[in-house]
Amino acid sequence: MTLPRKSIARAIFTDVHFWIPAGVLVLGIVLLAVVR
Amino acid sequence: MAATDTQVRALSSRSLHTLGVASGLAAGAWLGVAEAPTKLVTLGFSPFLISLGMVAGVFTARWTLPVMIKGTGYIWLDLREKPHLVLWAVLAGMLWAVANTLTVFAIRNVGLSIAFPLWNINSLVGLFWGWLLFNELRGAGLRQRVEVLGGAAAIVGGACLLAYATSHQAAPAPGSAAALGIVAAVGAGILWGTMYIPYRKAYISGMNPLSFVTVFTFGELATVFVLAAAFDGGLRHVAAELGRARPALFWLFLGGFCWVLGDLFQQYAAKYVGIGRGIPLSNTNQLWGLAWGALFFGELTGQGSTAQALIIAGSLIMIAGAVAISLAEAPQAEQVSWRKVIERECSRYGLDRERVAESMRGGDPLAGEQTGHRWWEWLIAAAAVGVFVWLATQAEIPPIEVNLAWGVVLAAASLALLIACGLLLWKRTRFS
Repeated sequence: MTLPRKSIARAIFTDVHFWIPAGVLVLGIVLLAVVR
Repeated sequence: MAATDTQVRALSSRSLHTLGVASGLAAGAWLGVAEAPTKLVTLGFSPFLISLGMVAGVFTARWTLPVMIKGTGYIWLDLREKPHLVLWAVLAGMLWAVANTLTVFAIRNVGLSIAFPLWNINSLVGLFWGWLLFNELRGAGLRQRVEVLGGAAAIVGGACLLAYATSHQAAPAPGSAAALGIVAAVGAGILWGTMYIPYRKAYISGMNPLSFVTVFTFGELATVFVLAAAFDGGLRHVAAELGRARPALFWLFLGGFCWVLGDLFQQYAAKYVGIGRGIPLSNTNQLWGLAWGALFFGELTGQGSTAQALIIAGSLIMIAGAVAISLAEAPQAEQVSWRKVIERECSRYGLDRERVAESMRGGDPLAGEQTGHRWWEWLIAAAAVGVFVWLATQAEIPPIEVNLAWGVVLAAASLALLIACGLLLWKRTRFS
């Protein structure tokens, strides 16, 4: 039932839900660099 | 369709709602207890080092508890069945670590009384994501919406009052530094609120919270270590400071251990009542932290009548918010909306619908497949206990006056919640 590895990667990276926390994480790291 | 309705009815049973609410309240208690040992760390260590010490304790406990409850074979089977969630769990751990570091700078620039209310919006951010991405509150009646939204707002508002009344009013840094501090605090709130997306994603995919936190902790520890090295003078400096902090490490590890217990309950709350209801409930930890600070450490001695009135008002508002959310059981129509989201995840990631549905009902589809405990799991537990015992032998008790009677009362209340909620989870779900 588990998807092949390539399909898993495609499912994750085409999932818009993934890019919300990923984008927020990048913004958070940028913010840290500015704030310090 | 009939099968789906049956599953939805099972999912909406009152016992699962009660389980989620109990988990949220137990989470609040133990996330609050976690603050007590760290208050004993009074020496002048940097916030990064304190954070690293606590997260190291968290890492130790997060590996030991899941292994002892379910075994490595179970965790491995769970991760193999939903491999896409490994990346999600690491991402959530990284979000936690960056948010935690942002709070350090926020406190430095604007003080706790301004920073805390700003990052405390995390539960409202989580509520928004729960509504937008996971259909939480969709199909709910006006009464449930008012109870959840009003309850969450009340918990945030009450926490703000408590923070304002209890924090020492340091003068904020001038100009742009203050503005940056405010941005850092808001950023931390958004990061923590967004961290709940992976939580909910994992549980609507049928993952066991114990498996999720086992991976989460890698992202968390690695990021905290990198940030400490980057912002606290490099690897060599961090290693030297860790050696200097050895007498305090036991308290940080103990705080980390209590935090893991609270966090586990929070994960079960997110699983069984969603992030919109579960996270605000677990954010009642502010009340418990206040109780430990005021009653055990006597921190509020000498506070004026205005501060005392604010503390009482803030506490009552938080309790009212928690009661409102506790009463807001998801109605049938909302459960159907949840079911649609679960179906979406199953289609995208090729998950077994029946197994996911069973997990959401509190069942454990992996129970029949797992092997017993392996010998090395006892070694892992022994090593963790050994680390705690070794650190305890090095620990120094700072000369702080405490009220032991209140300590016993608060510890007994927290333990009662731990045992009651742990038994409930065990009997109903076998920690599924």
